[in-house]
Amino acid sequence: MSEQNAGSGPAREGPDSGAQVTEAATLLSDVRRLRRQTRSARHAYWLPLVLFGILTCASVPFYIRPLQPGGTGGFGVPAFYVRGFGGFTGQGWRGYLALYWLVAIAAGLTLTFLWYRRHGRQVGLVTPARGFLTTGVVVSLLTLVLSAVGVLPGDLTIRGTLPFLIIAAGLWTLARAERSRALTVVAAIYTATALVASLYNIENVLFRLGWHPAPDQWQLTSLPNVLLPALVLLAAGLAAYMAQRRTRRTA
Amino acid sequence: MSAPEHPTNGLDETVHQRHRLGILTIAAEAESADFGYLRDALGLTPGNLSRHLTVLEEAGLIQVWKGYEGRRPRTWVRITGDGRSALAAEIAALTELLRRHEQAKPG
Repeated sequence: MSEQNAGSGPAREGPDSGAQVTEAATLLSDVRRLRRQTRSARHAYWLPLVLFGILTCASVPFYIRPLQPGGTGGFGVPAFYVRGFGGFTGQGWRGYLALYWLVAIAAGLTLTFLWYRRHGRQVGLVTPARGFLTTGVVVSLLTLVLSAVGVLPGDLTIRGTLPFLIIAAGLWTLARAERSRALTVVAAIYTATALVASLYNIENVLFRLGWHPAPDQWQLTSLPNVLLPALVLLAAGLAAYMAQRRTRRTA
Repeated sequence: MSAPEHPTNGLDETVHQRHRLGILTIAAEAESADFGYLRDALGLTPGNLSRHLTVLEEAGLIQVWKGYEGRRPRTWVRITGDGRSALAAEIAALTELLRRHEQAKPG
């Protein structure tokens, strides 16, 4: 469509002329191309995926069971809070799990928000990432409140993996803000993984596959429930990083 | 029974212009878009882009504001609710025009 024709305004009524149809097809094609380009330039979700993957890996020491029962239960963490974020076991390092996740989730949300602000200024397109921050804060507070009133199902909280579901809620919000099908798929896979990690002992599958831990390795048997969601985040984050870098190179 | 309205009646002269449609499309994809990004993505000169932005702003379809990043001035564009509605109506009208053309094809 030429600038002159476009500026003269649309034709009214009458049969559809070939020129009108060609113009409409060109405009719609432009709209689709610009949408694709803009989304591609705006996408920056590889960082929150990798960041929360690393934060999950860093939580591993807190999930190692103590060899001998007893030990410290953390420094005075309220019981309701431990149930919501740290599971029921408060022995050894696990007593600090709830505190770890409180700090890790707050840090992850803040760093992600700052990352999107920086990326928006660099590229010239701002992603509405405030929703991600708000969702993370609201769901975390809700978890605390529901833990305090004791309505959270024990099956979801006993393994101390409830923070994964908070991360999953954040990912769904981010997928909506990013308008990304790929991130929606990642959010769905991660949510399923987080649910499995919260409701099932993944060590059972590994046992059937041939992993028979010796008694001195029993303290590690809850780690598959932590490492599987971390693996999903890290793999998706690295794939997204490579895809986004390739797209920007070819743009 | 009256004949269905012709899709070109749904076209708005302000929006039915390639570059202004492009500005609205990009602005609708982000919370806000920078002047420099719009200029590069649409291949416009700064003066030309400014004129299109003025038309859209006066029609209430976008908001334009200036800010600073350090000492560097930057102009940002945000689509309004009316802008989103106008963009959706334009795309719907164009799509309907193509659909009618396809239906009218012989065979």
